[in-house]
Amino acid sequence: MQPVDNAFQEFLFWLLAAVTVGCAVLVVVVRDMFRAALLLIASLMSVAGIFVLLNAEFLAVVQVAIYAGAIAILVVFAVMLTRDVPEANRSSPIAPAAFTMAAVLLGALIYSIMQAEWDLLPEDVPAPLAAVFVDTPARLGTMLLNEYVLAFEIAGVLLFAAVIGALALVRER
Amino acid sequence: MYGSGMMKGFGVTIRNLFRKPVTVQYPEEKVRQSSRFRGQEFSWFEDRCTGCASCAKYCPLGIIRIVTSPSDRHKQDGADFNIDVFDIDQARCMYCGLCVEACPYDALHMGTNFEGAQLRRQDLVITVDVLRKRAKHPSTWYRPQLERQDFDPYKQEADMQTVAREPYYWHPKRPAMLPESARKEATADGEYK
Amino acid sequence: MGDLLRENTLYGNIYDWAIGIVGEDLAWLAYTVAVMAIILLVVNAFLAMGTLYTWAERRIIGRFQSRVGPNRVGPFGLLQAIADAVKLLFKEDIVPRAADRIVFNLAPIAMLAPSVMALAVIPFGQTSYLANLNIGLLYLIATSGIASLAVMMAGYASSNRYAMFGAMRAVAMLISYEIPLVMVLLAVALLAGSMSLVDVMTSQAIPFLLVTPLGAIIFFLAISAELNRSPFDITEAESELIAGYLTEYSGMKFGVFYLAEFANVLLAGAIFSTLFLGGWPWWTPLSHVWFLVKVMAFAFIAIWVRSTIPRFRIDQIMVIAWKVLFPLSLVNVAAIAIEVVAWPERTLPQLVIMGIINWGITAVATVAVTRAWRASNGLRVSPSARAVRLEVG
Repeated sequence: MQPVDNAFQEFLFWLLAAVTVGCAVLVVVVRDMFRAALLLIASLMSVAGIFVLLNAEFLAVVQVAIYAGAIAILVVFAVMLTRDVPEANRSSPIAPAAFTMAAVLLGALIYSIMQAEWDLLPEDVPAPLAAVFVDTPARLGTMLLNEYVLAFEIAGVLLFAAVIGALALVRER
Repeated sequence: MYGSGMMKGFGVTIRNLFRKPVTVQYPEEKVRQSSRFRGQEFSWFEDRCTGCASCAKYCPLGIIRIVTSPSDRHKQDGADFNIDVFDIDQARCMYCGLCVEACPYDALHMGTNFEGAQLRRQDLVITVDVLRKRAKHPSTWYRPQLERQDFDPYKQEADMQTVAREPYYWHPKRPAMLPESARKEATADGEYK
Repeated sequence: MGDLLRENTLYGNIYDWAIGIVGEDLAWLAYTVAVMAIILLVVNAFLAMGTLYTWAERRIIGRFQSRVGPNRVGPFGLLQAIADAVKLLFKEDIVPRAADRIVFNLAPIAMLAPSVMALAVIPFGQTSYLANLNIGLLYLIATSGIASLAVMMAGYASSNRYAMFGAMRAVAMLISYEIPLVMVLLAVALLAGSMSLVDVMTSQAIPFLLVTPLGAIIFFLAISAELNRSPFDITEAESELIAGYLTEYSGMKFGVFYLAEFANVLLAGAIFSTLFLGGWPWWTPLSHVWFLVKVMAFAFIAIWVRSTIPRFRIDQIMVIAWKVLFPLSLVNVAAIAIEVVAWPERTLPQLVIMGIINWGITAVATVAVTRAWRASNGLRVSPSARAVRLEVG
């Protein structure tokens, strides 16, 4: 299947890409902390849009649910409850060095992306892979509980530990 | 039973849904006041009034203004006065009814209105012409004679005789002021037993 | 891309008409026109019903309280919502000087957007839906998460510490109640065997309200809290913190919040009727009418609960979310998971058996929770009183 079927999808892709990159850049430039947090969320939501363009709607919805629904609240609460955050992204002495590092990294990434030979999925997708596009949650669920069950359980134990830690933190003495 | 309190609460509310609401849809319907309601639109019977200005003297706010001039009416037993000015300033009136309590001749009575709002303050002052022309629906406040007759100011209009008390010693010579039942007891020279 | 809407006949008609005009090359234009037409229809109908619902709520609450609701403005007061909207438009649009202008203006939009977005997956009747996403339930969870973000934006951007308190409390309540809500949706997905709302609708040989009453009750309470609706409306009750996170909003921005709140009730009704009330055999010819009847039934129950039960305190709300609804939702999920494994075909008699077992579990769970409640002095003691007691004794 083609990455973009028609002009409209191409337009959408460029729009979403611009929003993602633009918001990500603004996150590190904007002075107000809360606005930086909101711009981060905007960037993540446009990533969800890109997932939809890639026919991965399950990932897109999960992205919105987790990031905008949970992590956004977490980030905003962290910004609210931190004292002494008068201004974000103040100019600091290591800014030029940081910019240079970032530019070098970006150059390396772009070069490697352009250099690589990307395999597109063939028009008729082979059978086990096609199942993912038809019914993503079922396939994901099967894989999580059959092949990757150890990772799944470890993640569960990790979350459990986090919840117990949170409860221990707020216990009344 | 678990949840019985909540079910009772729900039952109360759902019963209220099917009852008639208690709202009075003003201005199409008005709340019925009692007949003793001390309202606006005082009822004043000029034929009973002697111009004694007791009401003005009793008024705690001093809002009644009476200006009289000598006249020849009822000269034989202390003449009445001509009432030139009889102003009641309803803007300040607190509708206490003391003026009505004070009137010895049952000439002034409370009214029953509660919608007398005007756009200008000066329109709230009742003049003597208004008092003369107005239809008389006296409230039965402090008027046991009206109560005894089951007078309903919302349905009936009153005249000079309806509001009359039983014979009282200070108007013996004025049979017109007395109620029908007492009139024949006044003797020819105006003395009472 | 247009495959999702193939079964929708209205879309098909408009699409064919548009294709006839622009030809096959600009098929995406035809698709856009057809989709825009349907979206306009659905969204406008939804918002109009939201405003009508405000009238209905005020009238019905009035009758519950032995009074008449608004009945002056149009025939039976039907134009009251329009009068409210006109009044809000005329009001001065005040933005506090210290407020964050952009975020302040965006918050009402972020509040209304999720409820409109969620309409995309709800089936209004047979073959009458905008999208048959195979992850419809997850999509609903995602859109309800955005609303809590909008509340936070509103509270922060007001630069008013009381609005901030209100927003914090509201967000805490919203995210706490998302958990039992998601658990109930998980249970329903297990029962239906699919996350698609159309499949949930069609797999209800008997309504899931009878099969999983515990789930329906938990869903009702959780969605009432998500909607900031009595008895969980501490965030917007006038006697609490003025208007909570809405304090600094005036004019049409407040109107948008107001509309979003009432339209959300209708949306919750639509979701409830899809998940728990759908699937009667008289579905087919008058399916839209039946759908509306079910939504109105939910709305009526919501109004009834609002007029009857007094408001909970914020700590009581948290206690209910974490100590009552969350364990009950886990019990619900466990029970349904076991039943679905035991009777995988989910035919009608199997659903009935599941229903009987679930009613028993509901009764046992209610009794158990009530007993535990009474033993522990449940909702009565406020945290400040408890703190005093700890200090003294």
